[in-house]
Amino acid sequence: MKSIGLRLVFAILAACAAGGARANEADPSSKDVQAKLQYCNVCHGVSAQGFLGYYPIPRLAGQQVAYIENQLKGFVEQKRTSNIMFNVGHVLSPAMITGLATRLHDLNAKPLGGAPKEPVAQGKKIYEEGIPGANVLACASCHGQDAKGNGQFPRLAGQLYAYVSLQLTNWSKERGETLSNVMAPIARNLSDEQIKAVAAYLSYLE
Amino acid sequence: MSSLKLILQIAILTVALAGAAAADERPAAPKASVQAKLSYCKDCHGPSAQGYFGFFPIPRLAGQQTAYLENQLRAFLEHRRTNNVMFNVAHALSPEMMAALALSLHQLNPLPIGGAPRQLAAEGKRIFEDGVPDANVAACAACHGPEATGTGEIPRLAGQLYPYVVKELTNWGIERGQNAAKPDTSAVMSPVAHSLSKSQIEAVAAFVSYLK
Repeated sequence: MKSIGLRLVFAILAACAAGGARANEADPSSKDVQAKLQYCNVCHGVSAQGFLGYYPIPRLAGQQVAYIENQLKGFVEQKRTSNIMFNVGHVLSPAMITGLATRLHDLNAKPLGGAPKEPVAQGKKIYEEGIPGANVLACASCHGQDAKGNGQFPRLAGQLYAYVSLQLTNWSKERGETLSNVMAPIARNLSDEQIKAVAAYLSYLE
Repeated sequence: MSSLKLILQIAILTVALAGAAAADERPAAPKASVQAKLSYCKDCHGPSAQGYFGFFPIPRLAGQQTAYLENQLRAFLEHRRTNNVMFNVAHALSPEMMAALALSLHQLNPLPIGGAPRQLAAEGKRIFEDGVPDANVAACAACHGPEATGTGEIPRLAGQLYPYVVKELTNWGIERGQNAAKPDTSAVMSPVAHSLSKSQIEAVAAFVSYLK
């Protein structure tokens, strides 16, 4: 009697484990990912090139997969504050997140443009050399020479001028994922003018 | 004789220069004719442009974004947006008149006309602010702003007529973006309108109709 009970427990456990594994592995169908991607594009632009809505809505095209996954997780765990993106991220399964991030990474829309051109040269200098006197690192040392990013370091090339300006201005009020701490002192040490220069430079990079 | 010739030459030059200067700056529409045209708009859109329940729900234009108004007037002309009445209205407007009307309308701020079912507003507020992530409906606030004031070509929705918003969201794909040769920003809204259920559309429309 005892052994039957035990066997039953094992059987139930095994069934649960198998069910759990199936749920985890359930890849969203390509059609579901496509539908969700179209939903992303409503705000982020038809080619995910970014969109100037009421807020500047960032470019996701060509973005690093690990960065997108990390940010979506950050929204859900409320380490990055955005009410809208919390709600968006909330309903996405890990497999869906990976599916979306991969597809977004593969897009390569032209930059949206629209930034002032005059500060671009200054921005390029800051991006490549930093401002040693103000303890600002060269952006290129983490984001790469062509600003394509790497892993959790985001691509900045082609990012919206208004969005980069906003992020660098509000860094510590909006971001709180572990890795974002790296950027906090840099964002703080940049002047408004320097932020705008870097943002203008990046916004035109393809 | 030679001095007379000189005076003539100077006179011709002056006239030519004056003409060039006038052509340079676009002639603004005269104020009186703008006022007359504005009162013509108000015949249908309400005395304060707060919208009007005619045979059709006629939208509120008060406080609307100027870029949106100008774009819609052009959309009627270019058959991007199908509306026979507004095609004829827009047809007679110069670009300068369009700009002047848009600016005048943007500056109006009457109270919402009201009349929507109030019990739907709470659900509408939730949809407006959060979207319906499960149904791939983006948060309206992301583009229209937390107070539904809009920006640029993205329209203000605050105070818009309940039946008008319901009608637009229901008929989006058959009324907007109708000229395949001239795709426009209305395409952004197609999947959103498509994914909203009838009751969700009514909820959002009720919510925005009461916003000031």
